[in-house]
Amino acid sequence: MSGFFQHFTMSLRLHRRNRMALVYGYLFPLIFLGAFWVLYRHESVPLLQHMGELLTVSVLGGACFGLPTTLVSERERGVWRRYRLLPAGTWSVVLSTVLARYVLLLTAGLLQLGVALAVGMTLPAHPLDLLVAFTFVAGAFIGLGLVIAMLADNVPAVQALGQCIFLPMLIIGGVAVPLASLPPWAQHVAAFFPGRYAVEALQACVTGPGWSGVRFDLAALAVIGVAGAIAGAKLFRWESGQRFAAVGGKPWLAAALAGWALVGAAAEWRGHVAPVAVEADRARLAAPAQQPWETVTDDDVARLDFANLPPDYGVVAPIAGPDEKPSEDMDRQLGQIESRLATWPAGRVADLRQRTLNLLCLAALPDLVQNPVERWMPGIVFDRLELSMPRRQLVQILTWIALHPEEGQVLVDLSAVGIHGVGTEAGVRERVRWYAIKFVARLTGRVEP
Amino acid sequence: MSASVTVKDLRKRYGRVEALRGASFEVAAGEVFGLLGPNGAGKTTTLECLVGLRQPEAGELFIGGIDARRRPREVREKIGVALQSTALPDQITPREALRLFGSYYRERSEPAVLLERFALREKADARFASLSAGQRHRLGLALAFVNRPELVVLDEPTAGLDPSSRVELHAEIRRMKADGHTVLLATHYLEEAEQLCDRIAIVDAGRVVATGAPGELIAAAAARHTVNLVTRRPLPREGLAACVDLAAIGGEGTRLVFQTAEPTQTVAALLACVTDAGAGLVELTVRQATLEEVFLKLTRTRDAGAETTNEGGVS
Repeated sequence: MSGFFQHFTMSLRLHRRNRMALVYGYLFPLIFLGAFWVLYRHESVPLLQHMGELLTVSVLGGACFGLPTTLVSERERGVWRRYRLLPAGTWSVVLSTVLARYVLLLTAGLLQLGVALAVGMTLPAHPLDLLVAFTFVAGAFIGLGLVIAMLADNVPAVQALGQCIFLPMLIIGGVAVPLASLPPWAQHVAAFFPGRYAVEALQACVTGPGWSGVRFDLAALAVIGVAGAIAGAKLFRWESGQRFAAVGGKPWLAAALAGWALVGAAAEWRGHVAPVAVEADRARLAAPAQQPWETVTDDDVARLDFANLPPDYGVVAPIAGPDEKPSEDMDRQLGQIESRLATWPAGRVADLRQRTLNLLCLAALPDLVQNPVERWMPGIVFDRLELSMPRRQLVQILTWIALHPEEGQVLVDLSAVGIHGVGTEAGVRERVRWYAIKFVARLTGRVEP
Repeated sequence: MSASVTVKDLRKRYGRVEALRGASFEVAAGEVFGLLGPNGAGKTTTLECLVGLRQPEAGELFIGGIDARRRPREVREKIGVALQSTALPDQITPREALRLFGSYYRERSEPAVLLERFALREKADARFASLSAGQRHRLGLALAFVNRPELVVLDEPTAGLDPSSRVELHAEIRRMKADGHTVLLATHYLEEAEQLCDRIAIVDAGRVVATGAPGELIAAAAARHTVNLVTRRPLPREGLAACVDLAAIGGEGTRLVFQTAEPTQTVAALLACVTDAGAGLVELTVRQATLEEVFLKLTRTRDAGAETTNEGGVS
């Protein structure tokens, strides 16, 4: 027991001293997190809906690349040959190595979770269940990593084998691409991969009912993990001289594959192929519970002062008519602005009212500073707003803005999208209000668009 | 003499190659025993079977009365092993390695004691990757002593070491013997075997072809002494036939080499022969056989196609 504990703590210490191991173990998961944040930062609660995928990718990388790379490189150098001379069983040395890897994966996962919380994610719904699910996921992938380590004769072979498992799992295994986005045939294939069960189990603990709702997934992970661990132990090689081709116990490889096949067959039989609908905690996702603009009624809309708006053809709050065509130069300039809007952060903020307000500023500021694009921007803004949300919701938000012109932040400088000229806040707010009412008039049929 | 190690009819095959073909020998408690043989003779395979790194197909292996094939973990408790090269994780320090390896044994020495004994105190906290070949070798030996072993198994302990490290290691092996350890070492350095070992077994082609103390082996295998004769002019063959066995004559012309069991009589006869023929004596020396000659003679038997097996003596 003393040897087991010493080897466990020593493995952790040696990992800490290895710079490359730290990069792969901790920096890469953070890079994944950064990539996910860039992709999903505009969701109401950033990353919350993707923690299952994120943690699975990290565990998959650490267990399928990190663990076998360490094992195989030490075996190649003769370190394991020296361990074999100890009066310890195979299980003792392998188990302490595996346990150390679990701790490394867990700390990497906690680091990811901590950073995610720092960038705005809310706490997982069931933290303790998440720990249980994480343990099952780590166990399944560590079992897989052991099999890779025993199959690979050298470190390059680990990379090749790891990629053969890692990439398909990401793309059609339900890890990086959501199962719901995959065609039916790919969903059937994914049922045989542990990746989808890992994502479902973890996500259920973050936003769903906890582990009680994903018992099948946990059982699937357990079967795959145990089959992999047994096969890994039976195929265990202490020396690099023992090539896989010459090692006994190859039928145990079939045991590992049988685990995957068994899980896939059970999923088909029990109708578990389609993605599990993890019912999100609405209150958690839609924070706060109800937005003020959601209280806007048709009566509020009717109260808007449609009668006293500046005319569209005038110089204040103008909107180009359907027959007006921009010049070639103007058309080019508008095209440049539109291409910048595609990546304009203010146009994708999670708060729908603020996002609408930001977009209205694109019409209001050019009018205020008499930028030549002033007649054309309202049309562009209207089209973007109409595409971004349901009409009813848009009417409510625009009405709210028109009735509460003092709320929210307005943009007085839009040079980031190529609209030059700086306006006053009061001037922008006034024009935002006019355009909001004009847009409501079009959306509710009071004026022809 | 109670046997500390008993190896009987050990057989091991690698695919079609028969590495061990019934090797047998015994090592007494407290002695330094050497396995001597050319490369590929089966020395390392024998040791690897003994310490449990390889599974023999047949044969008996007992260490301190324990069946090493049936109870390898029990055997590993009692033995210390230093392989040809010691591989450890790059980031581990000698102190940590000694603590880690010691933690697996019931009996263990303090790392500080071993660091001092094997001259590693100054490198106690240096990373393994930064150690020199000699320091790694000494750490390998220190690890072999971490469990206060009854038997120390050393595979080619001085291979790749510089002369001063080799001298230090020889002194250490002598100290092991003085401390009461049984030492089993494999080497292909004849001088090393002759200097260090109480007894040796010459291994060739997977078999033990001779066992005994170096002096006994020399005496038994080289019953004939070597006589070198240098004359000014060549001796006539007919004159020589009267005093020595012509079949035992080597060399030619003025330089001749004789093998004889009776050096005194042969030298007297040769001197008479040289005087009678007026060949003019330049040099006449008599030399007892060396272990190297014994070794070459025994291991060349294989090349000649003869298969010689002799336990406890020379064929």
